[in-house]
Amino acid sequence: MTWTRPAWPLAAAAALAAIALAGCAATVRSYMDRRADFSQYRTYAWGPADTFSTGDPRLDNNTFFRDRLQRAADARFTARGFEEADTESADLLLHYHVNVTQEIDVNEMDQPYGYCEDCRPAVYDAGTLTLDLVDRRTGRLVWRGWAERSIEGVLDRQEWMERQIDEAVLRILERLPPRL
Amino acid sequence: MTRLLTWSAVAALALAAGGCAAKQAGSYVERSVDFAQYRTYDWAPPDPLPAADPRLAKNAYFQDYVEGAVQRGLAGKGFGKTPAADPDLLIHYHASVTQRLAVDPSDRARGGACYDATCGVRVQEFEAGMLVLDVLDARSGRLVWRGWARHGVADILNNPERMAARIDAAVAGMLETMPSGAQLAADPAVRVREEGGRK
Repeated sequence: MTWTRPAWPLAAAAALAAIALAGCAATVRSYMDRRADFSQYRTYAWGPADTFSTGDPRLDNNTFFRDRLQRAADARFTARGFEEADTESADLLLHYHVNVTQEIDVNEMDQPYGYCEDCRPAVYDAGTLTLDLVDRRTGRLVWRGWAERSIEGVLDRQEWMERQIDEAVLRILERLPPRL
Repeated sequence: MTRLLTWSAVAALALAAGGCAAKQAGSYVERSVDFAQYRTYDWAPPDPLPAADPRLAKNAYFQDYVEGAVQRGLAGKGFGKTPAADPDLLIHYHASVTQRLAVDPSDRARGGACYDATCGVRVQEFEAGMLVLDVLDARSGRLVWRGWARHGVADILNNPERMAARIDAAVAGMLETMPSGAQLAADPAVRVREEGGRK
């Protein structure tokens, strides 16, 4: 034990900064079915909810999460000129999945040789939100967009959760193909 | 050295309890709902998710104690358990346990530089318990409030007194942010305090 007692406020501030930094780096991606013709889609409806666990008991069957997400997505779809319809007649069915897993960032401290300056390993919760668009007539997935980021502490406060939902939905749906 | 060990043990416990400055309890609320319209509640069967941990869900002591703590807590919030049919609210709870990882506190705290063999991360696994309490509007079937509390369960599973104390703290922690019901909301002092807090 040669290292000196750490300066706690400093360490805490640095840890917070690291979390905040990791938080900014949301990964947002999408796939699309290249054969799908997006100009033919006019209406959408929400498909049934997932029946499997999200990885955090607070998110399972969480209607506060669902309602916020659907409101945010509805606004984006409306802005894009889509109309909400009922599940029997809609062109597209919309599904979402949310998943939480714990990740470890060893922060380069696992190297057998070498030097590591200011290493701070951490564990954090990573959240993934996936939005799927399914062609109702063919049942084929035509578009999938998702966002992934550290959500450490986000589910602890309803307001943080809501802000993250809004941001994730906005950024995912930015990637929707243009409708002509 | 003893002192350092004690310090590490305390830090490890704090970490196992859910991380450095992480919240231990909280709640979600349907903001458009006025809780002063609710007076009574009754227990209802829980949803299939999340999967309950048998060490808690099949533990009669745990169940009785949670139910008692919730009933005492809700009484303090102005909700009464109704012996009759037609309650305003239906409630149920989930107790689950998940395996979680924590980086050894000394590795987190080190902060400075390391090289070769002095580098390395010790990761510990611990069992995190999560208690989720759901409150539904009995007429609409809508979830109007969800409270949660978490804590490591290693030290409470075989210790009834500690389990009781943890449950009390968990239920008190989650109910702290719950709006008051009809039986309290009629009290003008409470009403003023709550409206002040809402601003």
